[in-house]
Amino acid sequence: MTQHHPSAETEAHEAAADDRTMFGFWVYLMTDLLMFAVLFAVYAVLRNSTAGGPDGAELFSPTLALINTLLLLTSSFTIGIALLAARNGLKQQALVWFGLTFLLGTAFLGVELYEFYEIMHEGYNLRTSAFLSSFFVLVGTHGVHITSGLLWLGVTMYYVAKRGLNRSMVRKLSLLSLFWHFLDIVWIFIFTVVYLMAFV
Amino acid sequence: MSETQPSHQHNHGSVTSYVIGFILSLVFTIIPYLLVVNKLITGDVLLFTILGFGILQMFIQMFFFLHLGRGPKPLYNVIFFAGTAGTIMIVVVASIFITDNLYRNMMPDEVTRKLAQKEGIAQVGDKPTGACQGNKRNHVVVITDSEVQPLLTTARLCDTITFINDRDGNVELVFGTYNQTVSYGGEDKVLLDDGRPETITLNQAGNFIFRDRSNQGIIGQFSVE
Repeated sequence: MTQHHPSAETEAHEAAADDRTMFGFWVYLMTDLLMFAVLFAVYAVLRNSTAGGPDGAELFSPTLALINTLLLLTSSFTIGIALLAARNGLKQQALVWFGLTFLLGTAFLGVELYEFYEIMHEGYNLRTSAFLSSFFVLVGTHGVHITSGLLWLGVTMYYVAKRGLNRSMVRKLSLLSLFWHFLDIVWIFIFTVVYLMAFV
Repeated sequence: MSETQPSHQHNHGSVTSYVIGFILSLVFTIIPYLLVVNKLITGDVLLFTILGFGILQMFIQMFFFLHLGRGPKPLYNVIFFAGTAGTIMIVVVASIFITDNLYRNMMPDEVTRKLAQKEGIAQVGDKPTGACQGNKRNHVVVITDSEVQPLLTTARLCDTITFINDRDGNVELVFGTYNQTVSYGGEDKVLLDDGRPETITLNQAGNFIFRDRSNQGIIGQFSVE
C-alpha cells in the first residue's frame, strides 16, 4: 500500500475493513451493555435491602459523584478531540489529548477508590447488605472497565509515540474512543440511578 | 473517497460537534444534581425528572460523541442498539415490576407478622394479626453455663420474655414443641451475644420449649395462655 496515493480499490478495501471492525466492536459493546443492564436491574431491586445497615443517602456524597461525573465527561470530550487529531495525522496533538484523557481517567479511578475506601473505613463492605453487594458489584464492574480502558490507552499511546499514526493505528484508536464514550454513558446512569436517586 | 463507500468520511464528527455535545452534557449533569441537592422538587416527580435527564444525556452523547445514525449507509449499529435497548427495557423494567409486585402481594407470613408486631398493628380488616398493643408483664430468663433459670415461665398473651446470656459464648435459641423446631411469633431463632439481652413478645399461645441449637443442656420452657 502506498501511503501518498492509495488507489480507489485499496481505499475501498480499507474503508470496508473499518466498518467491519467497528461493527464487530459495537456488537461487543452492546453485549457489555446487557451485562451492565442486569447489574442495574439487580441494584434497582436490592437498593432498599439494607438489612438494618446504612442506605445510600448515609454513605454517598453527591459532590464526589458530581466531581467523578465531570471528570469522566471531560475525558470523553478529550478522547473525541484526540481521535480527530489522530485522523488528521497530528501525532503530537493527538498524544497530548490522549494523555489528558489518561490523566482524567486516572483521577476518576482515584476518586472512586477513595469513595470505596471511605465506605469500608466506616466498617461497611460487600457483605454488609444486599444493597451494598449490588452497589460494589455495579460500580466496581464499571471501575474494572475503566482500569482496562486506561491500560489499553497507555499501551496504544506508547505505540503511537513509537510507530506513528497509520491507518490501522487510527482504527484501533477509534475502537478505544468508542469504548471510552460507552463507559461514560454507563457512568451517566450510575450517577443518576445510584448516586442521585439515593437522595430522592 | 471511492464510489463504493461514499459514506465513510461523513460520520467522524468535528470539533464543533464534540464541543456542543460536551456543553450539553455538562448542562444535563448539573441540572439534575442541583435539583437533587437543593430539593427543588421531591418524590416521584424528581425521580422521573432525573431519569429523564439521564436518558436525554445518553442520546446527546450517542449523537455528538458516538455519531450514531449519521451517514447514509444501512444503520446496522443503530438497529443492533435498538434491539439491545429493547432487551434492556424488558430485563430492567420487568425485574423491578415483578419484584415490587411480589414484595407487595406475597409477603411471607413471618414478615407480615414481624411487621405487624413492629408497627403494633393488632388487626387488618377483621383479621387479627397476632400483634400486641402495649406490652404487659416482663419475664426474665437467665441462661448460665449450668442451668436455665427459671426452667418454666408461665405468662399471658402479650407479655414479654427477656433472655439474658450469662455464659461465656454465644447462644442461639430455637423454639419448638417437643419434637420439632418451629418459629415463634415470626422469629426463627434468637441470637444472644455474650452478655446482651434480647426481648421477645409472646404473641402466640401454647406451650413451647426453647433450646440452644448446639448445646443440648440449655433447654427451657414457656407456657402462654
